[in-house]
Amino acid sequence: MAAVKRNFQVLLLLLTGAGLLHIALFSDLYLRYVKPGVRPLLIASGVLLVLLGVIAAARDGLPFSRDEPGHGAHPGHDDHGHDHTKGPRIAWLLYVPALLMLLFAPPALGSYTASRDDTATTSAAGTFPALPAKDPVALSLSEFSSRADWDTGTSLRGRTVRLTGFVTPGTNGTWYLTRLIVSCCAADATALKVEMHGATAPPPDAWVTVTGTWRPTGRVGTDSARPALDTATVERIPEPSDPYKDLPRVTAP
Amino acid sequence: MADETGAPGVTARPLPEQRGSGRPTRLPGAADGVRLGVSVVLLTAGIGLSLVVIGTVVVLLGPEFLLWLDGPVVRAWQTVFVAIVIQGIPFLLLGTLVSAAVSAFVPAWVFTRVLPGNPALAVPVAGLAGAVLPGCECASVPVAGSLMRRGVTPAAALAFLLSAPAINPIVLVATAIAFPANPHMVLARLAASLATSVGMGWLWVRLGREEWLRLPKGPAGHAPRAGRLEEFGTSLQHDFLHAGGFLAVGAAAAATFNVTVPHSVLRTFTDSPWLAVPALAGLAVILAICSEADAFVAASLTGFSPTARLAFMVVGPMVDLKLIALQSGTFGRGFALRFSTATWFMAVACSALVGWWLL
Repeated sequence: MAAVKRNFQVLLLLLTGAGLLHIALFSDLYLRYVKPGVRPLLIASGVLLVLLGVIAAARDGLPFSRDEPGHGAHPGHDDHGHDHTKGPRIAWLLYVPALLMLLFAPPALGSYTASRDDTATTSAAGTFPALPAKDPVALSLSEFSSRADWDTGTSLRGRTVRLTGFVTPGTNGTWYLTRLIVSCCAADATALKVEMHGATAPPPDAWVTVTGTWRPTGRVGTDSARPALDTATVERIPEPSDPYKDLPRVTAP
Repeated sequence: MADETGAPGVTARPLPEQRGSGRPTRLPGAADGVRLGVSVVLLTAGIGLSLVVIGTVVVLLGPEFLLWLDGPVVRAWQTVFVAIVIQGIPFLLLGTLVSAAVSAFVPAWVFTRVLPGNPALAVPVAGLAGAVLPGCECASVPVAGSLMRRGVTPAAALAFLLSAPAINPIVLVATAIAFPANPHMVLARLAASLATSVGMGWLWVRLGREEWLRLPKGPAGHAPRAGRLEEFGTSLQHDFLHAGGFLAVGAAAAATFNVTVPHSVLRTFTDSPWLAVPALAGLAVILAICSEADAFVAASLTGFSPTARLAFMVVGPMVDLKLIALQSGTFGRGFALRFSTATWFMAVACSALVGWWLL
C-alpha cells in the first residue's frame, strides 16, 4: 500500500507539471487565469515538476540505486512526529486543480462576475487628447468609459465609436458591454461596463463588437455620469484568447 | 522533512514488505514498468469509480444538479480557484527550493553567526533580511519553516516570514507603479510592514510559547554529500506536495468568498475612516491576492482613504486565507490561528499609525 501511495505522489507531481505545461506552453488557456507575464514562471514550474516526478519515478523504479553511501544513516528520517500522515493526505487535494487544468480548463470569468461588481473609475475630471479623425474610432472600454465619465472637453460628442466586449444582462431588459480587468490573477478581476441602448440583448457572455454613438448621462465629471452608448450595429465575434486584455487606461492630463 | 508515506528518500528503499510479495527478483526496468502499470491501472480505476459515483448522483438528482454544476457560480468558482493555485505554484516552488537548499546545504552555524544571539536583536535583523527573498507570501512559509529547523530562533524566523513577502524589491516597485501620484505610499508600506513584522517578532519573544508552535522537523543535515543531494530532492518533493495541498485548501476558501460575497457590501464602509481601515484589512484576508499584485488592487479601490488602502497592502501579504492554510500545514493549526489574529491587529494598528504620520 505504501508503494501505491508513493506512486500517487509521483503521479501528482507529473500531473501538476503536465497541467501547467498544458495551459501555459501548449495553449493560451493560462490567460483565463493570470496575466501574460506569468507565462515563463508557469512553464518553468511545469518543467521542474515534471523533472521532479521523473526523477522520483526513476528512484522508485531502480531499487539498486538505494544502496548509496550515507543512505540509511539518517536516524532522523524514520521517526518524525506530526506530519507523517498529514502531509501526503492533504497533498491529495492538489489533484483537484491539477485535473481541472489538464482536463477541463474552467472558462474565463464572465457576466456572473461582472454583474456582481460595481465599478469605480480611477481617473479624475479633465480634458483628454483629441480622438483620431476617422469614424468609427475603435476604443478600449476603459478609454471610452474614462472619456464618458470625466472628459469635460466632451471629445466623444458626435463621434461613432467601435467597442468590443462581452454581454452582461442588466435589469429591465438593459444590457452592458463588459470587460473584466485583471491586475494579477482572476481573483482580483474588476468590471468595466458600458450600458447599451437601442439593440436587443445578445445572450449573456456572448462576445460582440458594437458600433454606436455616445449617449450622455448625467453631468460629466460627477458620479452621475455613467458610460452609455446608442448602438447602431451589434456583431457577434469569437471569444478572444486573451479575454482580460483591454487597452491601457487613459489618464487625465 | 520526511514521512513514512510521502518521502521517496525513505520509502523508496527496498523495504522487505514491498519486495517480498512472492514475486521473483526482477530487473529494475521491469520493476519500473510493473509499478507504472499498477499506478496507471489504479488511476484509471479511480477515475472510472468517480465517474460512476458522479453518474449515480446525476441520475438521482436529475438535471437540476447538472445545471447547477454548469452554472455561472460553479464555473466562476473553478476559474478563481485555479487562478489562485497557479498563481501560487511558481512561488511555492521557489520557496520550497530555497527551503530545501537551506535544509540540505547551509550549515546551522551560518545562521548563529549572522544573527545576533539575543532574540530581541535578531528580530529586526531578520525582518530587514526579508527584503532579499523575491517572491510572494507562498514562498516565505516553507523558508521560515526551514530556518526554524536550522535553529534560528522562532521570533526571528517569524519576523522574516512576515516581512519577506511585503518589503522585497519586486513588491515595492509594483507599489510605486500602482500609485504613481503618491510616492509616499511605497515608504508607508515599507515602514508599516517592517514595523508589523518586527513588532510581531518582539511579541513572540515576550509572549510566545514553544508549545503553540509545532516545529517542523526535518533532515538533520549531517549526511555526506551524496545523501545531501538526495535529502534536497526528498524535502523538495515533500514540502511542495504538503504546502501545495494547503494552497489548494486556502484557494478553495478564498474562491468561495470571492464568488459569494458581493463587493458592494464593502462600499457601505467607505464613509467612516474608522470602519474603512478594518474593512479593507478584512477584504485583504478574504481575497488572498498575491503580494506582488495587491498594490494594483488597492489602487483600484477608489473611495477609500489612503490609510485604508495602506492597511489592505500591509495585511494582505501577512494574513490571508491561503496563508492561514499554509501556516497551519507548516506550524500547526493552533499556532496559525493565534498568530494570524495577532498579526492582523498589529498590522491594522501599524498601518493606522504610519498612515496618519505619512499619508
